[in-house]
Amino acid sequence: MPFPNVRLSNRPLHFIYLCDCSGSMAAQGKMQALNQAIRQSLPGMAEVARENPEARVLVRALRFADRAEWHLEQPTPVDHLQWRDLEAGGITAMGEALERLAGVLQSPPMEERALPPVLVLISDGQPTDDFETGLATLMRQPWAQKAVRLAIALGHDADLEVLQQFIGPEPPGGGRSPRRPLQASNATSLAQYIQWASTAVVGAASMPASQVQGATSGGNIPLPDLPPTVLDPTDDVGPLVW
Amino acid sequence: MTPAWLAPRACSVIGAAHRRQGKPCQDASLSAELSGRNGEALQLLAVADGHGSSRSWLSDRGSALACREAQRAVVEALQRTPLGDTTTWRHLLREGLPATIQARWQAAIADDWRHQPQNADPLEPVTYGCTLGLVLLAPQWWGCTGLGDWDLVAVHRTGEAALISQEESLGARAAAEATASLCLPQAAGLCARRAQLQPLAAHPQLRALVLSTDGVRKSCASDADFLALCSQVIDLDDPQQLEHGLEQITRQGSGDDVSLAIGRRAQPAAGRWPRRAGLALSLGSGTVALATALVAGSRLLQRPAPRPDPVLQQQQALCADPSRIRANLTPRRAQLLQLQRDPTLGQRLLAAPERDPLGALLARSQRSPLRACPPLEQHLATLWRDAGGKMPAAPPRPDERPPAGSRPAAPGSR
Repeated sequence: MPFPNVRLSNRPLHFIYLCDCSGSMAAQGKMQALNQAIRQSLPGMAEVARENPEARVLVRALRFADRAEWHLEQPTPVDHLQWRDLEAGGITAMGEALERLAGVLQSPPMEERALPPVLVLISDGQPTDDFETGLATLMRQPWAQKAVRLAIALGHDADLEVLQQFIGPEPPGGGRSPRRPLQASNATSLAQYIQWASTAVVGAASMPASQVQGATSGGNIPLPDLPPTVLDPTDDVGPLVW
Repeated sequence: MTPAWLAPRACSVIGAAHRRQGKPCQDASLSAELSGRNGEALQLLAVADGHGSSRSWLSDRGSALACREAQRAVVEALQRTPLGDTTTWRHLLREGLPATIQARWQAAIADDWRHQPQNADPLEPVTYGCTLGLVLLAPQWWGCTGLGDWDLVAVHRTGEAALISQEESLGARAAAEATASLCLPQAAGLCARRAQLQPLAAHPQLRALVLSTDGVRKSCASDADFLALCSQVIDLDDPQQLEHGLEQITRQGSGDDVSLAIGRRAQPAAGRWPRRAGLALSLGSGTVALATALVAGSRLLQRPAPRPDPVLQQQQALCADPSRIRANLTPRRAQLLQLQRDPTLGQRLLAAPERDPLGALLARSQRSPLRACPPLEQHLATLWRDAGGKMPAAPPRPDERPPAGSRPAAPGSR
């Protein structure tokens, strides 16, 4: 009698970018830097996916400006992903983006056996719509609660408060933490944060350890350390500062 | 007197991801046949799953100690309590055993911690944190208790399988991959929610119980596949097959450590178990519904349904969803080679097709044309060709033109 022949499956890991495409992103090459950073991160992300065959890394992207709409709607295996450039123009419908995101984090379409999704919100400004309602809609979804939520602030005009609300409660103490908005002040630091999210975080989320019921201080999964201190605001941040 | 249960078995296999990362197996499991004061026989199944996070860096030891202390606690209880006293055993499963196990586990991890190089630091129980699931199999009843994300499945004589205990949702606000743990102060109290004692007389259809850690269920594509796995794994006779099968499960599935513990009721005195209506479960949820409907239908009509041909059912199910053909047949290459080498294997498979319908389908395809759908025939022909054999060609259908010229049977040759 052979071993039962049933369908086995690795676990889907949904990685979703939420990209601010408002008009201000056109300034100082921010949009270009974001497209470049995402495109350059894909080989590393694919490599991490290959190293963790127990997870099926699926990428999506949601853009928001005057309206929120899917830029990459189908969950796409990272190996098959060809990044199309985002374009800037309009205002910052971040609240609507969170509502759109909530729609895909319902079960179904989310698979019961999915790994905690990774959500990366990237913005250089302030929401121009009802952010609170959008966030409340999102956080009503259990998969949003269980998600790894990261935020990258581009430049000094980004609204750190709303980005922190998206991430969740601020960790105690000061200093750098992946549970605070990551402040990218130029193309180099943006690229490093995107690279970190798409490789180190994806690796950590691919094989999460069990967590003891009631223990939430460490977030949904233990996050890897941030990249070296080139990202520290006190370090040399490159020629162009946003 | 015929024993109520056959010898139990348990197996834990390190997860593919843990093996790659050089981590230890954080699962532990055991099966034991215990004897009470008056020679009463009680079997024990246990699985434990260490949390494995950086905070729980000794959870591999924690899970092993949990199984060990659970067995010791059950042995003690068995010396004090006759198995016929179901009231006391029900209470033991709800409160007595969990409290004793937790206390013994805490003492055991404290003792283990004293032998760790870092023992100057105070022990935090989460360092050894793990789940624990227990099943007791007595001649007149079975019971379970424990806490965490283990699953317990009952397999019925018909072959149907049902999930009878799983961890309740910890709520929308619970962290991802969160589970109850033996390291929690309220652990003993949490066990009461999972405790139950069921008289066997009330469940004459029960054939087996399958206890597993979460890595098994998370490796299956759906719950229907998980239930199909449980309904069939009880028939494995070779412990090595179980181990190799679990290795395959973690490699192709979640990558997590995987454990199974199986308790099987002894065969009825009259002979073999009734034929398994739910064998087609292996084909996925659609077929589960079909199998269930067939069973329900036969009950409704109050007369025995004609026994379907398991091979034909298997063939029809694969043809109904050709995307499953490759996934189901490719893992059978070894069996195909064995069929080539050992002609008696085909006879055995065809003599009891309900035991392994897919194997019987392969055996039948070796002997005579199947007249299946083209994708299935093509894939079978390819497999036979790769195995160095040849599948008999089906005669042309009445609505088909004869092939031009004489051609050997080959993929797509019809």
